[in-house]
Amino acid sequence: MERDVAIIGVGMIPWGRYPDPKNPTAYPERTMPEMAVEAIKRALEDAKISWRQVEAMVAGVYLWVSQQAGVHGILSGTAIANLMGYTGIPIVSVANACATGQSILREAVLAVASGECDIALAVAADKSAFGFFRPQSTDAKADIDYIRFVMCGETNPAYWAMECRRRMYEAGTTEEDLALVKVVTSKPAPHNPYARYQRTFTLEEVLKSPMVCDPLRLLMICSTSDGAAAVVVCEYEKAKKICKKPVYINAVTVGTPSFGDPTVRLTYTSSFKKPGVPTLSESRNAVQRVYKMAGLTPDKIDVIELPDNSSWHYFAYLDCILNLDPGEPEKMLRQGDLDPITGKIPVCPSGGIGAFGEAVVAQGLAQVCELVWQLRGEAGQRQVKKDLRHALAQTYGYAGNNAATILSKGW
Amino acid sequence: MNGEALIKKEKKKVPIVEGLFTWPSDKPALIAARCKKCGAIVFPKAAYCPNPDCEKDPGNMEVIELSRRGKLWSWTIQRYSPPPPFKMEPFKPYAIGLVDLPEGIRVLGMLATTENLRCDMEVELTVGKLYEDGENEYITWMWKPVEDVSKK
Repeated sequence: MERDVAIIGVGMIPWGRYPDPKNPTAYPERTMPEMAVEAIKRALEDAKISWRQVEAMVAGVYLWVSQQAGVHGILSGTAIANLMGYTGIPIVSVANACATGQSILREAVLAVASGECDIALAVAADKSAFGFFRPQSTDAKADIDYIRFVMCGETNPAYWAMECRRRMYEAGTTEEDLALVKVVTSKPAPHNPYARYQRTFTLEEVLKSPMVCDPLRLLMICSTSDGAAAVVVCEYEKAKKICKKPVYINAVTVGTPSFGDPTVRLTYTSSFKKPGVPTLSESRNAVQRVYKMAGLTPDKIDVIELPDNSSWHYFAYLDCILNLDPGEPEKMLRQGDLDPITGKIPVCPSGGIGAFGEAVVAQGLAQVCELVWQLRGEAGQRQVKKDLRHALAQTYGYAGNNAATILSKGW
Repeated sequence: MNGEALIKKEKKKVPIVEGLFTWPSDKPALIAARCKKCGAIVFPKAAYCPNPDCEKDPGNMEVIELSRRGKLWSWTIQRYSPPPPFKMEPFKPYAIGLVDLPEGIRVLGMLATTENLRCDMEVELTVGKLYEDGENEYITWMWKPVEDVSKK
């Protein structure tokens, strides 16, 4: 990059439902732009700068606009600025499914790295707390997602379950392994005030939870949530002057699929397979690129936030991130190597998406917030018990959209 | 009860979305497009070849019928009803599978049964009803295990 970039402030609001009739004080009625304002406020406080000092903003675009929010869910950036107060800065709104959070971080980083500005903000708010995702049109001529849904009845967990069953068939993953993912990732959840489910789960509870899509049970699948997060980035030399613990951005990128990948991605009905092209190529392409950009290898990563949308994801993304064969992550989990706090390679010290429920476009930024707190040593009782240098976050690849980020201590 | 059942005529079977499989037919097949230059196949059919190295010329794409038999790569059972626009009346848990066809394409689809399914078993294309009204039965493509056919 032309100029180095660091994170000088992060902020998020607790994940849940806005409003939550059971707890209206903590979760009042809020629109998505209002949720975004709260996240921005916290990130600016953390960075000790004012809204006027933000020179560019990138906002996440809401996916379910036919259900709520409408056009302002798409033109989210200016809808948020309308509430913050217009300052005339460049604002862009970006839609990239699960990868949105880190896609907008990338755009903010590029704005600073290119010299367009010194301080930029990435923000995303999301209201996805309504159960199974669905197509956003009834257009059988133009919307393959609609065709897939009405002709095949495929929900997101159904797709994950098919991948999971094949993994069990080929790599010997057991039902107990799938349950253990929830048990282990929920350990830090009681200590994360931003998590929606601040509790732990036992193996028995997970194995007795209702079957949703065989072999995946309810507690092996993440729920869907409302949430918002914001990250302030700054040119690195300037960041060192105005911030005690700037978090250096080694790399942030977006991955898309390779032609010939056998994965039949959500929203699609088929794939054309070419020999030698791996599955989840969008994820492999993203993670390999961040390693290359950062000049690092998997063994240099000290802590990971990955997309545990289901127990299958947890294992499949460890394959991608640590370059393992299916079956190896399962073994590491059983040995305790992946414990979120005490593991050799702590995974999901935030409690993961299992503890949050996915607020789709904001989730990638929530991962980055957690890694920033971990690197600064500010994660309280869920602080990873090892010396941290490099931290990696990766999101899921809904419809072929993936993103990954590597961060390190910049002080 | 009142004899209505006796005069009930057979309803017309109508695909929920037209043009995805050959219909009406005793041996329905999925309709796809294949690139005459590189052999890449897309389902549903598309105007352009998805190969990044192929020229984007709609003239290269020919409409083909896919093989009716393949191998079940994996499957699951959807235990809860998906939200609209999916419609199945009455809802009952159904299986969904990913099927590898000899042409090198993997295709999604519901399965005609939830029983005795296993990875790599041979399956064949059929159709099945999801809902009906006074006039028609509304159908989609489904995969059924080949072994089940021999039992009938």
